[in-house]
Amino acid sequence: MSTQQPRVLVLAGDGINCQTESAQAFAMSGFTAEIRHLNDLISEKVTLDDLCRRYAVLMLPGGFSFGDDLASGKVLALKIQHGLNWELSKFADRGGMVLGVCNGFQALIRMGTFGKDISITHNVQGKFVDTWVKVAPTGSRCVWTKGLGTLDLPIRHGEGRIIISKNRRVEVLTKFERLGMACLRYEGDPNGSEERLAGLCDPTGRIFGLMPHPEAFVRWTAHPEWTAQPARASSPGQGLAFFENAYQEAIHARQ
Amino acid sequence: MLARIEVTLRPEYDDPNAAGLLRRIELAHPEIRRRIRWGRSIDVYWLDLPCAREELIPACIDIFWDHVMQWLFTGNLIPSAAGKQGGVLDLMDASPVRPGNFFTIEKRFRAGVTDNVGRTALEAFEIVLGRKLEAAQIASGRMFLLEGQQLDEPALSTIARDVFCNELIETWTVLPEMELRKSDRFHQERIKRDLPKAFKPTSRLVTPTLNLGTVFGASSGTTLPPLMDGVDLCSLADLGDQELANLSHKKLWALSGEEMKAARDYFKRPQEISRRNVQGLSTPTDVEMEVIAQTWSEHCKHKIFGAKIRYQDFTSPALGQAPGPDAEIPTEIDGLFKTTIAETTQMLPKPWLLSVFDDNAGIVAFDQEDAFCIKVETHNSPSALDPYGGALTGVVGVNRDILGCGLGAKPIFNTDVFCVGPLTYSEALPERLMHPRRILDGVRRGVEHGGNKSGIPTVNGALVFDERYLGKPLVYCGTGGMMPRMSAGELCQTKRILPGDRILMVGGRIGKDGIHGATFSSLALDEFSPSSAVQLGDPITQKRMTDFLLEARDLGLYRAVTDNGAGGLSSSVGELARLSGGARMDVSRAKTKYPGLKPYELVVSESQERMTLAVPRDLLPAFLDLASRRGVETSDLGEFTDSGYFEILYAERVVASLNLEFLHRGVPRLQLEAHWNGPNQSARSNNAVPHGTLPARKDFQAEAGEVLLALLRQPNIASKEWLIRQYDHEVQGMSVIKPLNTAGSGSALAFSGPNDAAVVKPKPGSNAGIAVACGINPKLSDIDPFVMAQAVVDESVRNLLCVGAEFGTPESLLALVDNFCWPDPVGDPVKTGWLVRACFGMRDAALALGAPFVSGKDSMKNDYKGRKNGEVVAISVPPTLLITAVGRVPDVQYSRSADFKGAGESIYLLGSGRFGVLGSELASMLRISLDSEFSEQLRLGMPDWDEARRIYQWMGGGVGKEQSRMKAVHDVSEGGVLVAVTESLLARGLGATVVVPEGVEPWEFCFGEGFHSFIVSVSEADSFAVETDWTLNSVPFRRIGVTHLKGQLEVTGVSAGPRGWSVETKKLRQAWKREGFWE
Repeated sequence: MSTQQPRVLVLAGDGINCQTESAQAFAMSGFTAEIRHLNDLISEKVTLDDLCRRYAVLMLPGGFSFGDDLASGKVLALKIQHGLNWELSKFADRGGMVLGVCNGFQALIRMGTFGKDISITHNVQGKFVDTWVKVAPTGSRCVWTKGLGTLDLPIRHGEGRIIISKNRRVEVLTKFERLGMACLRYEGDPNGSEERLAGLCDPTGRIFGLMPHPEAFVRWTAHPEWTAQPARASSPGQGLAFFENAYQEAIHARQ
Repeated sequence: MLARIEVTLRPEYDDPNAAGLLRRIELAHPEIRRRIRWGRSIDVYWLDLPCAREELIPACIDIFWDHVMQWLFTGNLIPSAAGKQGGVLDLMDASPVRPGNFFTIEKRFRAGVTDNVGRTALEAFEIVLGRKLEAAQIASGRMFLLEGQQLDEPALSTIARDVFCNELIETWTVLPEMELRKSDRFHQERIKRDLPKAFKPTSRLVTPTLNLGTVFGASSGTTLPPLMDGVDLCSLADLGDQELANLSHKKLWALSGEEMKAARDYFKRPQEISRRNVQGLSTPTDVEMEVIAQTWSEHCKHKIFGAKIRYQDFTSPALGQAPGPDAEIPTEIDGLFKTTIAETTQMLPKPWLLSVFDDNAGIVAFDQEDAFCIKVETHNSPSALDPYGGALTGVVGVNRDILGCGLGAKPIFNTDVFCVGPLTYSEALPERLMHPRRILDGVRRGVEHGGNKSGIPTVNGALVFDERYLGKPLVYCGTGGMMPRMSAGELCQTKRILPGDRILMVGGRIGKDGIHGATFSSLALDEFSPSSAVQLGDPITQKRMTDFLLEARDLGLYRAVTDNGAGGLSSSVGELARLSGGARMDVSRAKTKYPGLKPYELVVSESQERMTLAVPRDLLPAFLDLASRRGVETSDLGEFTDSGYFEILYAERVVASLNLEFLHRGVPRLQLEAHWNGPNQSARSNNAVPHGTLPARKDFQAEAGEVLLALLRQPNIASKEWLIRQYDHEVQGMSVIKPLNTAGSGSALAFSGPNDAAVVKPKPGSNAGIAVACGINPKLSDIDPFVMAQAVVDESVRNLLCVGAEFGTPESLLALVDNFCWPDPVGDPVKTGWLVRACFGMRDAALALGAPFVSGKDSMKNDYKGRKNGEVVAISVPPTLLITAVGRVPDVQYSRSADFKGAGESIYLLGSGRFGVLGSELASMLRISLDSEFSEQLRLGMPDWDEARRIYQWMGGGVGKEQSRMKAVHDVSEGGVLVAVTESLLARGLGATVVVPEGVEPWEFCFGEGFHSFIVSVSEADSFAVETDWTLNSVPFRRIGVTHLKGQLEVTGVSAGPRGWSVETKKLRQAWKREGFWE
């Protein structure tokens, strides 16, 4: 695959909604994006080896998989774990990258990607909220947020409040600190998330999940205030930077 | 094995579910809320699974337990997942008052009601256990644990009935503390009892053994032997007029006496009798009568819009006044649809019109490759009975219209307009009506779940309050969609079926839910309205079906598709059958939610998430294979034919055989009388000001500031941000202009003002956009529905122009969708007169602006009859017309928002501003307090279409880039000029000085409403050039002020009083934001 563009597998089906714009964001950054239905991957018995061989990135897009029933991302996580048996940490160890946005992030949390002592639940105000937030990347572990400054992104969720186990709080925060896992924070407090956490990465920095939607800000005209700066109307949006970072990483990994 | 699982948040975590419920109790019963000190919610699952205990325990832990935050109470199944005491006692210990006085309300679904969560839980077990689970059942429910000193069973029952449950679909029980402390509810026998039972078959359906003798011998009398079990015969032959009408009423067919006679006579036709004999039919079956009733229902057939109408105008024009455009309304009208809607579109032959009126939605060409389609529906009656379920199915229902339009389109946005009673309503509620707050809360949640979960952004809408919407809330749900103009070698608007194509039902299964929805919505709401008319939505099943169908479309796996909405299979197959000339289906082949459905129920059930398709025989295997891979259920019901008949079988036995021509064209035409007597005198006083006078208060200078603040607080004007932000308006990544304009986003100082319309950019590879807007103004209906309709067309188009839509060339895409929600006009010449005037007003405006109608829908029975405090009351909604307008934005990088962008911008009023106070928000509001001080005659704003075309042409002409010098554009609508200026100031908290021109009546200028007007801001540097441009193009304008950083709105000018007046922007913001925010 060295002569081709790096490939990304974008999951679809069962109530995943944002596969099209997610694939578009990857395509704009240089990837070849494939949208695949979860059921097809299961019936074709796509293994972790296949995944590593074929794809540089696995994307879990936003949506309302299984209607958010039981808990957001819960049944999707079970389906990936039991139906495909992919151990994402091994995918990362072998050079793969994973992005989970919103519902995809929730599923990553339910799979235990960021440890067993965190969870995610209803916003503190008890409501779905669609608004734009400022998020600040921290640390240098995460390959997706490398070199980025504060940026504006939309959030659109009812369950975005990250919870850290009360009994293990100190250990978890120490671990996050040591491994650079708490890689994205809100500047404000839109949902009551602990430590203002907006996104997390795994200890390799290659698996990244976040509640805001970077794929919804790939052109400047998506920003709520763009009409005040019409001269920037043709500029790319700030969310594209995550995907471009991943592209650089994928190209780099290949050499 | 059987299990009961209770899932609850550990006490150290906030419980938003409980908090939400307590808030709703506060709204509904503040006195009960005061008695509650503490509350927690508990999710409950009842399991009946074919697996052993050892298998069940790890699976339950995997599926239900989030050990970070939750406890599981399972009796003795998984004690380690609970707290110290192993159950609900641990939760009680967390109550602030101990020992407390505890109660629990538990709710669960009634038998047969769709239980989405239970279904997902079952799927989760299948995933985890790695096998299909046959004969398994999971039901979901919820408990609410409350503590309070003076709580008692009656208070709990009130909460259960009014807040916690909808008794149409749920049942509840109250458990006192004693009960709760015991663990009886975890016992196997008890769980078995608590699991909702599947519907018991009401009659046993077996393959019939036919006794031709009895069937043929029976031709009279009402106690006939059945054709087969489950099919009743309906002998009409010997019934007189009154008996026919009674029968129709009893069976909920909603057929008139004339229609019953037409049906009776059809079955007497000799050729039908002999044909029926061959098929083993003679007396009409209930299946046949149900199919006729559904097909002929007002909901499906739009008989009122097809009626012949005699129109009489009893008003005489004032002396010396030239006859207005309404003088052109003919006295004999050959169908309102034909003369005012279809004809308007015919007179505007636009090159981009691809399919209008014939299909589920109007289809227009977006560009060379893609088509755009739009449909707006109403879901009023279901939302009145079950606001959440009704609104949810309204959204997913209109989504299916888009999915079933042409060869199938992908929904790209939703629009939602709600009309409800005042949230502050404090009188007694008439029987069976819900409080507007409860209606709005349910409707909001329904639309949120329907739209957000489906991944379709809700980009535009409105919220309108009027006391008369208490009788029936109006819930308009619209959807826009995109599809390629060519799909697998066919034009996208093609609807073609060949005899021999298979009839496929895909998606959800059939249940008893939603039986008689179409006929029920064709009746007034009364105490006996059937609960079975309520349907429950399941967005996830629909989402799977949508993904599947779009894939199948691109592969060319079907020939035609339509939605199963009102009337169920009866309508969908009955309609599609016209394309091939017949259909023959066996409804016993349809997948059902539970056994025991009668043939007629299978035919007319409106169970959700179903589409009907025509699939060519040779493509069937590929079609079925893809469906099964996508987890979508299908039922192969039969085939399309060219027999000229719609034939329905059950277990291979014919139970209905109806001539298609008769079915679709046999309904007798209505004849209606229409009268116009002038303004509606009987309308409630706070809405109608037919003969009032202007509030020429002595002191505009002293009091106008307060009036402005009061207007901003009016529910119809105040911020809807609390609602808008609960809808995902950006999913699919197409958003350009959002419902709100915002400054300081992401910071604590963020503030949002309203935009006029939404713009989405549907294609990654093209900068062209679609703008969508709406116009609605029921206040004007009380004065003159003709002007009301003109105004809403104008407003919808103006809103589009605000955001940058094109206008004025033949290629300019600008299309309208009309939705009428009317009080029943049948037998009421005055209400029919209103309808006639609205239709002709709408036609007048649409022709003047060159905007064709592409789709529409009407809902004609928006009345309530019942009792309030024991007295008989009737409430009819005000005549309400919603116009949804869609246009093209040539390049979204030049679209505009309504907020002023900075200090030093010149503020202009575009349009000659002939505002009137009559029918304005000011009039509605001041009617209450300023009555006696009115002195001058009130005016009504009137249109000038020549002027409109000049302004709109200038704003929307060319390719959209020309007018980029306009910094902000906002239309002048509810509340008038000063409200519009204020709304443009809000986001940035700017100030402005507005000069009231000399020689105008200041109240009228500042707060009057009218046609064709915009507030526009232009940078100081561009002002001269833009003014010159306007002068050259005969665009009337007036420079009325300038923006600044002084943080206040200053109103000056000779007419405003010697010193003028001012209000701080901070106060304007507070006023606008305050009211309406209740959840």
